[in-house]
Amino acid sequence: MIQNILYGLTIGGILYITAIGLSLTFGTMRIVNFAHGFMYTIGAYLLAAILLLTGNNFLLSGLSAVLLVVPLAFIIERYVIRRLYGVSVDYAIIATYAITLIGVDLVKWIWGTTPISLQDPIGKFMNIFTVDIPVYRIVIIVTAIAIFVGLGLFFKKSMVGKIVVAGLEDREAVSSLGLNVNKYFAYIFILGSVLAALGGVLYAPITSVHPYMGSAFLQLGFAVVIIGGLGNLNGTFFAALAMGIVMGITGRYWGPAADAIVFMIMAIILIVRPEEIEG
Amino acid sequence: MKKMNQALLSVEKLDVAYGSAKVLHNISISIGTGEMVFLVGRNGAGKTTLLKTISGFLKPRDGSILFNGKNINALSIEQAYSEGIRYVFQDKRVFSELTVKENIAIAAYGAKEKLSDALDKMFLIYPKLKDFINIRAKGLSGGQKQLLLIGRALIGNPSLILIDEPTEGLAAGTIEDIFKVLAMLQGKISLLIVEQNLSVVCRLAHRVYTMEEGKITHEFTQDQLKDQSQLEACL
Ligand SMILES: Nc1ncnc2c1ncn2[C@@H]1O[C@H](COP(=O)(O)OP(=O)(O)OP(=O)(O)O)[C@@H](O)[C@H]1O
Ligand SMILES: [Mg+2]
Repeated sequence: MIQNILYGLTIGGILYITAIGLSLTFGTMRIVNFAHGFMYTIGAYLLAAILLLTGNNFLLSGLSAVLLVVPLAFIIERYVIRRLYGVSVDYAIIATYAITLIGVDLVKWIWGTTPISLQDPIGKFMNIFTVDIPVYRIVIIVTAIAIFVGLGLFFKKSMVGKIVVAGLEDREAVSSLGLNVNKYFAYIFILGSVLAALGGVLYAPITSVHPYMGSAFLQLGFAVVIIGGLGNLNGTFFAALAMGIVMGITGRYWGPAADAIVFMIMAIILIVRPEEIEG
Repeated sequence: MKKMNQALLSVEKLDVAYGSAKVLHNISISIGTGEMVFLVGRNGAGKTTLLKTISGFLKPRDGSILFNGKNINALSIEQAYSEGIRYVFQDKRVFSELTVKENIAIAAYGAKEKLSDALDKMFLIYPKLKDFINIRAKGLSGGQKQLLLIGRALIGNPSLILIDEPTEGLAAGTIEDIFKVLAMLQGKISLLIVEQNLSVVCRLAHRVYTMEEGKITHEFTQDQLKDQSQLEACL
């Protein structure tokens, strides 16, 4: 049981790292970003590719993979997302979904469809409450918590963070102070995409790298964002960890139900709080 | 009274529409340097629309907006800001999750002004704000919010401030606080203020425009405003 909870927390940590970008782009730009799953996928593929060049140096390869997503996210924000401000939500879904379709086909074209497995980058175990847990999984959980704390500080302490918080509440009022809100929202989009790529990088050694890995995770990410409350960054964190644990425990009894139960919880939340999607 | 001859802002034959619904028709107004001009009119007359067009939130369909002699029709909100135009929204829109100080800090950042200078400006018009500087802006009363917004608009040395209904929904005593601050600004900076409280208008205005259904209907000079009933008769 303890093992299931800890494994669940790993999934929850990855879910948080991935979903937080969805929550941020929705909260700031009111855009439902289907391209997000592709950032997760491309992060994992870049990692796999760079690992070959660096002789399996995970830290260096992971960092490079994540950094390479910065220019990609910049281009997507500048030429696709920025044109979607204020237009109907449906257009944003179609446009960002198109990015995913193009991206996934590119991945298949470059790397093929055969899943790639990566080895555990640390390969050591740690004894926690009498069970052996891979140290790498602990690293993931710690990373997720560090990102949660870091983002909290960023939004509370930094000027860019404060401007974004202000923009979330009233973007017109931010522009009225001579600030280009789009620029700050673009930073947030890039940050969210980078975190999605990091999610892909961190999860790659646990599952396998394949072209559709992002799509599956994206759906879970959306569910977590809805359960945590749209645009509620703390809510996303706690929902992600809770759903991770729920998945871990459910998976112990019946594997196929692990994902389904998250969507069931989301459905219940939507019935109880329908304003979540209407708002 | 200061003599205002040179127009800082001159709006000429302005038409503004939301989609196909035209709401401003052939508006012409001017504001001199250091002049305090009020705009009065019923709900839906188009006062906010006019202020938002001058400050770059809306683009005119026709006509021109000249500021310091330069046509600013096509400027973005940020560009209008850089030119020295400030717009204080109706409904006291502070950033409620941020502290009072952070509300000011963002404005100082936008204006590339030192926070300490910005705070000094703020305290000059509203010294008591020192006591609330670290509370979240949502905890302020309506009058406090309004003074924060007016003070914030002074950051970065603007030359024209547009204020949309500063006393709306405030108690009589608080209206006097706002009145005093506006009186302090009188003559130091150009102001165009939308205001429904005619006593405030008549005591402060250098000039008044009345608006009805998207058109300017009358203009009153300071002398004509000594008797409030004349203005009342036009509304
Ligand atoms: N975003 C909008 N889209 C369409 N029509 C609008 C919009 N905003 C305002 N209007 C319409 O334009 C007209 C003028 O509105 P405006 O807000 O400028 O009036 P106002 O004089 O400021 O009124 P109030 O005293 O209520 O603030 C009204 O008929 C209003 O319904
Ligand atoms: Mg109005």
